[in-house]
Amino acid sequence: MPRPEIHMITFTVDGREVRAPENAMLVDAAKLGDVEIPVFCYEPKLGQPVGACRMCLVEIEGIPKLQTGCSTPVKDGMVVITQSERVKEAQEAIVEFLLVNHPLDCPVCDKGGECPLQDISFGWGGGRSRFIEPKRHFEKPLALSPLIAIDRERCILCYRCVRFSQEISEDYQLILAERSADTYVSTFDGHPYVAPFSGNIIELCPVGALTSQPYRFRARPWDIEGAGSVCTLCPAQCNVELTVRDERVLRVLARQHPGVDDGWLCDKGRFAYQSVHVDERITRPMVREGGELRPVSWERALDEAAGALGRAGAQSAVLAGGGATNEEGYLLQRLAREAVGTPHVDSRAGGGPGRELAAALGAPALQATVPDLEHAHAVLVLETEPVDDMPIVDLRIRKGVRRNRVRLAVATPRPSSLDRNADVSVRYAPGCGEAFVAALSAMLGGEGKNVDELASSAGTTVEALRGVTGVLRGVEVGEGATGSDEAGPRDIVILWGERLTQGRRGAAAARGLLNVAARLRLGGREGAGLLEVPVAANGRGLREAGVLHDAGPGLSEPPHGEMAAIDGLELPDGLARGDLTTLLLWDAEVDAATLAAAGTVIAHAAFLTDALRAHATVVLPAESYAEKEGTVTHPDGRVQRLRPAIGRQGGVRPGWQVLADLMARVGATQDPADPGAGDPRVLTGPMASRQLFEAVPVYAGLTLEELGGRGVRWPAREQAAAWPRADAGPFGLEVPPGPVKANGDLRLGTFRSIWAGPEVGHSPALRFLVPKPRVEMAPADAQRRNVTQGDHVTVGHNGAALHATVVLRDAVPRGTVFVETDALRAGPVDVRKAPPRAGPPAPDPAEAPS
Amino acid sequence: MAWPPTPQELITVSAPSPGGAGGAYRAFGETLRGLKTTMARVFEGIHTIQYPEEKVPVYPRFRGRHRLHRFEDTGLEKCVGCSLCAAACPADCIRVVAAENTPEHRISAGERYAAVYEINLSRCIFCGYCEVACPFDAITMGQDYEMSDYSRSDLIFTKEMLLAEPLDRTPLRAEGE
Ligand code: SF4
Ligand code: SF4
Ligand code: SF4
Ligand code: SF4
Ligand code: FES
Repeated sequence: MPRPEIHMITFTVDGREVRAPENAMLVDAAKLGDVEIPVFCYEPKLGQPVGACRMCLVEIEGIPKLQTGCSTPVKDGMVVITQSERVKEAQEAIVEFLLVNHPLDCPVCDKGGECPLQDISFGWGGGRSRFIEPKRHFEKPLALSPLIAIDRERCILCYRCVRFSQEISEDYQLILAERSADTYVSTFDGHPYVAPFSGNIIELCPVGALTSQPYRFRARPWDIEGAGSVCTLCPAQCNVELTVRDERVLRVLARQHPGVDDGWLCDKGRFAYQSVHVDERITRPMVREGGELRPVSWERALDEAAGALGRAGAQSAVLAGGGATNEEGYLLQRLAREAVGTPHVDSRAGGGPGRELAAALGAPALQATVPDLEHAHAVLVLETEPVDDMPIVDLRIRKGVRRNRVRLAVATPRPSSLDRNADVSVRYAPGCGEAFVAALSAMLGGEGKNVDELASSAGTTVEALRGVTGVLRGVEVGEGATGSDEAGPRDIVILWGERLTQGRRGAAAARGLLNVAARLRLGGREGAGLLEVPVAANGRGLREAGVLHDAGPGLSEPPHGEMAAIDGLELPDGLARGDLTTLLLWDAEVDAATLAAAGTVIAHAAFLTDALRAHATVVLPAESYAEKEGTVTHPDGRVQRLRPAIGRQGGVRPGWQVLADLMARVGATQDPADPGAGDPRVLTGPMASRQLFEAVPVYAGLTLEELGGRGVRWPAREQAAAWPRADAGPFGLEVPPGPVKANGDLRLGTFRSIWAGPEVGHSPALRFLVPKPRVEMAPADAQRRNVTQGDHVTVGHNGAALHATVVLRDAVPRGTVFVETDALRAGPVDVRKAPPRAGPPAPDPAEAPS
Repeated sequence: MAWPPTPQELITVSAPSPGGAGGAYRAFGETLRGLKTTMARVFEGIHTIQYPEEKVPVYPRFRGRHRLHRFEDTGLEKCVGCSLCAAACPADCIRVVAAENTPEHRISAGERYAAVYEINLSRCIFCGYCEVACPFDAITMGQDYEMSDYSRSDLIFTKEMLLAEPLDRTPLRAEGE
């Protein structure tokens, strides 16, 4: 639904005239007049107020009884008093009442020093208690989950945590058990509260009832410093505040940004900081000597790397990924193109559409913002599972559906956790995203005859498609919804996964998606558009910095012109053919076979994987995001700034410095007459940022000061006009290939869970969440193959196979299985019961992230 | 002003000229007056305290080197590692790192204990705020003031040093003394 209009009204609080938006809650409105009303249970992020604690009582003229300020909307001419004797008495009574059962064990309580109950008792309490009876007791401390400790004696029953679980993350696990004086917070049957967003309740709890296990007793508020930065563990790029004590990150808190994260964090972002300080992290450069990686000096490692790149020249390839910053991306493509002289640069290991289409998809007029998700008429989630790929937008979508009645359509191969919230959810065959968008485009264009065929080649049905278009057009599901939109264009946001446009047919899928956008008339519309979920955390930024095989900074024409560049998808073939010999991996992961095919592998990485241990020639230690300086670009175009919170661990050097050194060294070897030839003239992090802003036309004029703590959305700036023009369709679409014929086998779909990635596996607190290899299948398919829940099976075809445990999911479409892997390519697979395994069990995935 | 200054620009201040009655008084009168005080003290007896052989007893409220305490009955440390002393300390010389007690490894009476407790005595100004801040009377100011050492780092007192019974080196003034 479109954003509501805001009327300003005038009301009086404590004799002061204050202008405030109409219907704002009194507590918020009073703040505009610098009057603070104490609250416990009120938290606007949680939706409607519940009025559970009565801490916010105020007097309103004309109403005989005291009113709760957190749930009374302000009206024009209201006269509010917060300082009268009556109010004071009520406040003191409530504080006394809250403390009746409170243990007040502040010295051993982790909340001490940052505890609203302490502050409010001190500021508004009467300072005495008449309660001499025994207080209620619970066993403590208890683990609510391996991540969260609960102390029920301290709970003031404000409902915040329960509301979070029930209404925000909608995992429906936390409840209040028992009634009245016996009430306590719990899960229904006492099982551990494990959910992707569970950590948020630690920050929500206004007392020390819910505390973080990893942070338990680590520090007091006066021992620590807060350092604002941006989480780069996934594309959501949530704004975080790192808690630092003695140069160690001890905790991650949300740094509320309504345009990015809405004040929430996922548990990966909240707890994976632990991987910054583990021993497994690479903190010194290493070079392969006598078949083994050995720590060496930076000079030696850089010389080796620069020598290898210089020798290989155009036979070297560069692949970036992960949370590499824009500056690193920019310098990386300069290193490759200017110093090494190779056009083979990419940041998309899975390939993607060409420059023109990438420009059309990223066009400023077609970009939706994250808040648009909660105010749109309809949202289409396409080929992505938000909770795995970009967790925080999952909460945003839920919020839109719950509070603003956004119509939601989900179209994915794998059952989605948003299915329950969706008006329509549609399954299509894995790998058939192209056919699905083609069918959707045909449906929206009224090409009835085509739709049948396209729908069946996508492995879905016309009815399902009709449901999706119905939701998008705002027509009730079931009615004919193929016609043109009578109601006029609507605010529609399409949240699409980059996976849709990966692979050899990525360009065709991109055209289909652009057709859908054109037919829904999303271009140039405020509050509507496309929002991409890139695979890499800074996927968008790296592309804009020019880390693409066919485009330079700002998606400009590539400097190498006609020279055919090998992209990320062809990389393994290029290596196998021998066109490429040397591979520079910048925070990117590729499989062991590809690494084995490369003569020389130079890897910039934070953790050694088995593949790197076996094949890397030079390993350069990478910074963690807590140590990084630079910028990243959010999928909706917001350029955000990373600031170092702690000193670099061990011998780690900043990425820009490593790249500048490499450039200087490679340049020097290529032109011995001029030793300064390759010097990129980058001596500090901000210098790298300035070069980036100068090189990317749409970033022109940005400064780090302007980015500040909130970032700047470049599509909203004037300079966005410099974005390359590209044909945005509608295009005539090719006939997409149908789903793979399975011939009695099962079709394989792959996914990557939120708990994938080395940071999770290397964080002691999160390690328990690292999923064991599992195969999700429909019960009927399992029955036919004589396997059942928990069985060990092999999944694969023609030799390539992996071991997994069966997980039965009713929602998985028959004939399809889903495996969390990057190792198997889409195609038919067979699932067989594994022979009882001899020898050692499969390695713990934490040790060997693929 | 030009340099060197002309004689008109200079102001000359000269001492009274010696000689005459004034001169005689200055030479003897004042000296004798001073000697009178000296003589008077000579007959009062010796005031010097031969430190370190002799020591002045301190008052009970004297704020000397800190001590950490244990419960007498259980032997558990009173300090729970709450860091309030560190918060109160104006010289910022206390460092506390807390950890959790386990049933097998119980150090203090509460859920947490101080795994590290250090006071940098070269920075301490002996204000006693830490003692006031402590909710468990785990830290008190003792009466010892003999803390000089040969190296600064030796002045960082650890938990073990603060818990240990101090050497009885400083006499305490008795009641009413
Ligand atoms: S919740 Fe607050 S008031 Fe209660 S024991 Fe903890 S610090 Fe003290
Ligand atoms: S545990 Fe904390 S957030 Fe939950 S009801 Fe109790 S006080 Fe509120
Ligand atoms: S959603 Fe992504 S960016 Fe946000 S905290 Fe989680 S991992 Fe970090
Ligand atoms: S006596 Fe004062 S300065 Fe010394 S440790 Fe205690 S609080 Fe700090
Ligand atoms: S804050 Fe208003 S009732 Fe709790």
